Amino acid sequence: MNVSMRRVYAIFVKDFKELSKNMYVLTTLLTPLLLAFVFGQAETVSLKIQLMIINITFVSVTAFVQSAIIAEEKEKNTLRGLMMSPASTADILGGKSLLSVILTVGTMILCLLITDFHLINEPMLLLALLISLVFYAGLGTLLGLWTKSLLEASVAIVPVIFILGMGTLFQKLIQPYPLLKFMEYFPNFQLEFLTEAVEREASFGEVLGYFGVITGWTVLVLIVTVTVYRKRSMDE
Amino acid sequence: MSVLKMIDVEKHCQDRVIFPSFQLEVAGGNVIALLSSTDVRQALLNMVAGKELIYNGEIWIKNKKITRNRSHFSELGVLFLNEGVYERLCVKDHLLFYKRLYDSKLTMESVYQLTQLSEKKYAQVKELSYSEVRRLQTAKLLFGDPSLFILEEPDQNVDLETKGILLNIISFLQKKGKGIVVLTGNMESAITLTDKIYRLDEKGLQEMDMKDDRSGKEETDLLVERNEVPIPMPFQKIPTKVNEKIILFDPSEVDYIESYSGQSHVHIGEEAFPCVFTLNKLEAKLTSFGFFRCHRSYIVNLQKVREVITWTRNSYSLKLENKVGSEIPLSKNKMAELKDLLELK
Repeated sequence: MNVSMRRVYAIFVKDFKELSKNMYVLTTLLTPLLLAFVFGQAETVSLKIQLMIINITFVSVTAFVQSAIIAEEKEKNTLRGLMMSPASTADILGGKSLLSVILTVGTMILCLLITDFHLINEPMLLLALLISLVFYAGLGTLLGLWTKSLLEASVAIVPVIFILGMGTLFQKLIQPYPLLKFMEYFPNFQLEFLTEAVEREASFGEVLGYFGVITGWTVLVLIVTVTVYRKRSMDE
Repeated sequence: MSVLKMIDVEKHCQDRVIFPSFQLEVAGGNVIALLSSTDVRQALLNMVAGKELIYNGEIWIKNKKITRNRSHFSELGVLFLNEGVYERLCVKDHLLFYKRLYDSKLTMESVYQLTQLSEKKYAQVKELSYSEVRRLQTAKLLFGDPSLFILEEPDQNVDLETKGILLNIISFLQKKGKGIVVLTGNMESAITLTDKIYRLDEKGLQEMDMKDDRSGKEETDLLVERNEVPIPMPFQKIPTKVNEKIILFDPSEVDYIESYSGQSHVHIGEEAFPCVFTLNKLEAKLTSFGFFRCHRSYIVNLQKVREVITWTRNSYSLKLENKVGSEIPLSKNKMAELKDLLELK
């Protein structure tokens, strides 16, 4: 699969211009900023809250923007045209991901500045954040492919926001139920454990364990996404 | 050099034949129309768009066979009827996107000129009229610059100006040696846009006789000049007139002929064409082909009659076996005649 930077750029510019006029999607970008601002008023922001804001940024910016622009492409019947053009799968997904990734990085930096996140210089954590970014971009693509319109995509993102965005808040809630224990292996929990481990300067092996789980999730999502994309490519 | 070759392509849907196996070759610089129903059109488009695998026969686009790997997309441009556009972009950004996407050398200026969109350069796409959106979609094909253009109902519901622009674009592409296939269900648009018309339906592919009105006149002029007595040939076709052109139909194609507002109309499938002859004249010509004057203003092709419906003792209808199942009045005194014809007594 060959990637043409010109086409990726063309798709990126097109999506950027379209998104800049789409108030509906743009307002979701404000959610994590608003949360960061509200919680940032406190003297010290706990690590848990900071992590929640990071996770919410991933879900509501990376995953939602990604799913919204793909679902809209299907809703407006333009995806077929793109697929029949010389742009390859990698070009199309690349151009779209570029947009959501840039938006995420921007929002994330602002949020972290507001909540005064001090661990950002840890290389392991930084790397974990990057891998998570890929995971959520893949997840967004998947949601975009599964849904048929912008509206559907914004409904589908709601459970994801609850589970992956705010799930860590419910940790106490799920503890009495061993059945729900598996939730702790979700990438958002893993990211939190990893951050805590980094903070208390735990052994490298422990950090690596959490890191491995996040990477596993990412690889899984990417595989599923590519398969679904191939299968669905001409349906709509 | 042919840009489209269809070899033994056929399509069945469960037990129904959408279209039987046929051959078609379109050379570069040719503009043809495939007159067909929505089913047929959809089946063909699904095949070329790679949405549906081709089990019977082969389709070649230029030198690329349509397979799963979709390598033929580089030689193919399709204008779908329900093609999408990015509504929030302005026309200029939209065209720029196409240009970049296809890495085209075509200048923006020439595309503005061909599609006549320069006045709307900064208008948002969602504010454009349907006709203008159609032109914008056509621009995509121009940037793509493939060898074969397939246009699905290109002039459906568009205004007169856009139709003219479309004709210009088609002749521009024709000069560049591109092949163009217009898929339409509308005879009139097929005639205005293309030189050669094929009808594709469950009975197969059939070329339609067409004769340009003007050249026809010249021929008769020539005959008069040479002062020859034309040998009377048994004339077997029904001439109808659409705009400037005369189309000749085989009597067997015709479902029925109807006369209203002082003009006879030849009905074929779902369409009607004004005919130059009066009903009486047509009756005289067509009786030998199994046509029957069933009403003061109707002549029906008896071969196509499926059912004689008796409404009351004195009112009858003929039901035809065409797709729409047309019903034609049968007058009461003609009923006796029909019974004679059918040797029912």
